[in-house]
Amino acid sequence: MTESKTLTGGALLFEVLQDHGVQHVFGYPGGAIMPIYDALYDSDVKHYLCRHEQGAAFSAVGYARAAGTVGVCLATSGPGATNLITGLADALADSIPVVAITGQVPTAAMGSDAFQEIDIFGLSLACTKHSFQVTDINELEKVLHQAFEIALEGRHGPVLVDIPKDIQLAEVTQRLDKLSHLKNKVKLPLADISKALDLLTHAKQPILYVGGGVGMANAVEEVRDFAEKTGMPSVSTLKGLGAINPDNENYLGMLGMHGTKTANIAVQECDLLVVVGARFDDRVTGKLDEFAPHAKVIHFDIDTAEINKRREADAAILGDLKGNLPLLTTDLDITDWQKKLQQMSTDFAWRYDHPGENIFAPAVLKTVSDLMPNNTCVTTDVGQHQMWSAQHMSFDDPSNFLTSGGMGTMGFGLPAAIGAQISRPHDTVIAVSGDGSIMMNVQELATIKRYQIPVKVVLIDNAKLGMVRQWQDLFFDGRLSETDLSDNPDFVMLATAFDIKAKLITKKSEVDAAIKEMLDHDGPYLLQVKIDATENVWPLVPPNTANDKMMEGV
Amino acid sequence: MNPVTLNKYQLIIMADDKQVVLERILQVTRYRGFLINGMNAEVNTGNNVATITMSVSSERPISLLVDQINKLIDIKGVKVDNSEVQIKQYSA
Repeated sequence: MTESKTLTGGALLFEVLQDHGVQHVFGYPGGAIMPIYDALYDSDVKHYLCRHEQGAAFSAVGYARAAGTVGVCLATSGPGATNLITGLADALADSIPVVAITGQVPTAAMGSDAFQEIDIFGLSLACTKHSFQVTDINELEKVLHQAFEIALEGRHGPVLVDIPKDIQLAEVTQRLDKLSHLKNKVKLPLADISKALDLLTHAKQPILYVGGGVGMANAVEEVRDFAEKTGMPSVSTLKGLGAINPDNENYLGMLGMHGTKTANIAVQECDLLVVVGARFDDRVTGKLDEFAPHAKVIHFDIDTAEINKRREADAAILGDLKGNLPLLTTDLDITDWQKKLQQMSTDFAWRYDHPGENIFAPAVLKTVSDLMPNNTCVTTDVGQHQMWSAQHMSFDDPSNFLTSGGMGTMGFGLPAAIGAQISRPHDTVIAVSGDGSIMMNVQELATIKRYQIPVKVVLIDNAKLGMVRQWQDLFFDGRLSETDLSDNPDFVMLATAFDIKAKLITKKSEVDAAIKEMLDHDGPYLLQVKIDATENVWPLVPPNTANDKMMEGV
Repeated sequence: MNPVTLNKYQLIIMADDKQVVLERILQVTRYRGFLINGMNAEVNTGNNVATITMSVSSERPISLLVDQINKLIDIKGVKVDNSEVQIKQYSA
C-alpha cells in the first residue's frame, strides 16, 4: 500500500478508471450514485449522458467493440440498475468486455426494501461474467482492478460492481502498490496439434468456419494468413464477418439460417471443419444432428466449456488462437474443391436486378457498402435489415460490424453507434436500423443532438416488424399478429425535432444520390428508406432443418 | 409417457469463500439443465476455502456442468465422483 491524498470512494473510482486508460464513460445519474457523479465533476474522465440506462449500456458495448477495449457504464440503484440488465445480457452473449458501475442504497439500508433498492448483485448472476458488491471501502480499489481484469481475461465479458452510497462517500488514504492479478485459468493448449495436422493433411474438402472469437483474440491477421496460405475455403458467422478478407477468392460468405447458398452447401459437403472462435450456435447449425454430417472437427477456442458443448471435436486446441493457429498452417491439395466452390459462388451470386420502382433493401445496403469510406463502422439493430446488412455489406475487420448476435437485441444499433463514434471519432459510423428497432432506443437521438455525434442512420422502413411478419407469413399461415407498424411517427419530423438532418426516399431512382448526400454530410443524418412491406430475407433455413434444405423464395 | 434416463453424479467443488458463491453454483446448475438432489457446504475458516458437495442428476453429460462451474471466477476446482448411477423417470 502507498500513502495517497484522501479520496472518497467516488473519487477513487475515477482514479482507477484512469489507471485502466478509461477516457469515456456512459451513464445516467440518480440518488444512490450521486457521490460518484459528484466526483465525476472534478475528474478528467468524459461522461456521456445517455437518455436511458439501456442506451448507456449499449453505448459502452459499441465503444468496446469498435475500439477493442473495455466499455464503462454507470447507473443508479433500483430502476437505473435494472435498466442496464439487457445491455449486460447482450455483452455476455457476445463476450464483450464491459464494466458496469451501479450505485446502491447505503449498507445500513440494504435489505430493508428502501427507496430505489433492488438486489442488482443477485440479478446480475445470470447476465454477467462476474459481479461484485463492495461493502468495505478498503476493498473498493482491489475490486475495481479485478473487474477490469476479469472483463478482459480469457473469454471477454461484462462485470458489474455495485457500490453502496456510504462506500462512495467513505474515504481512503492509501492506494494499492500494484494491480492485483487473477489466477490464470486459461490452460495450456491441449496436445491435439499433431492430431489436427493429421486430420488436415488427409482432408480433401476442408472448410474454415470463422466466428466472433477471432476478432476478440486479435487474431484477424493470423486467420487471414492461414486462409491465404492453405487456400482453405472459408465461411463466417454473423459475428465473424470482417475476419476474412471479403475479396479472398475462397471466401464463401456467411453460413447458417440466412447464410449464402454456397456457404451452407459447402459446409454440408465438407469432410473437415476447422472451427476458429465459433460455438456451433443454433442459428448457424440449423438441425444440429444434420449439420456438416461428413465432417471431422478441429475446434480452436479460448473457452473450455465450448469444446464438445454442441458438437464433438475430433481435435480440440484450447488457448490463444493467435499463437495456436499458425501451428496448423500447411500445404493442401484441394484445387478441385476450391474450383467447385468458386463456381458455385459465381452461379449463386447475389442479384440486385429487382423489378419495379420500389426500393430493394439489399441493393440499398450494397450501395452504402460500396460508397462508404474505408474503415467505416456499421452497427445494426435486429431483424430483416440486420440480415440484409450481413448478406450485402462488406467489412474489412470484425470491429467494423457491430451487431447483437447472441442476444438479438432490438434497440442495440443506435446507442452502439454512439459508443462506436465516440471511440473512433475520425471514422464514419453508420447505424442500419429498422422502423421497429429504432423505436426501442429512439431517445438516444437526444444524445446525438447533445454531443453533435455525426452518426449516420439508415432506417429501412417497411412499417412492419418485418422478420416476425416474414415468419408469420411462412410458418403461421399468414396470421399477422401485432406486426403492423403503419402508425409509426413521421421519422423525418422526429429526427428534425432533435436537430438531425433527415430525408425520406421512396423510389429506386433516389437511392444513389441520397446515400452520397448522407455520407457527405458533416453531422448526424437520418435517411429513411421506404421499402415494400412484403419483402423477405432469402435464403432462409426453416427451424429444425438441415442447412442445405434452405428456402429461396415463395 | 417416455422414459427419461437421468444420470446421477456427485460433485465436489472447492471455492473461495466469497459472497454469493453458492448462489452462482445453484444458478448455473439449474440453467444448464441439472436437478439438485442434495448438497452440503462447509468452510475451512483457516484458509477461507469452501467445500461444496452436491448430488445432481440430468440427461446431459456431466462435463457440460463441470466446465461451466469451473468458469465461475471464485471456483478453485471441481471433481466428479465416479460412482455414476442411472435412474429412470417418466415424463409426459
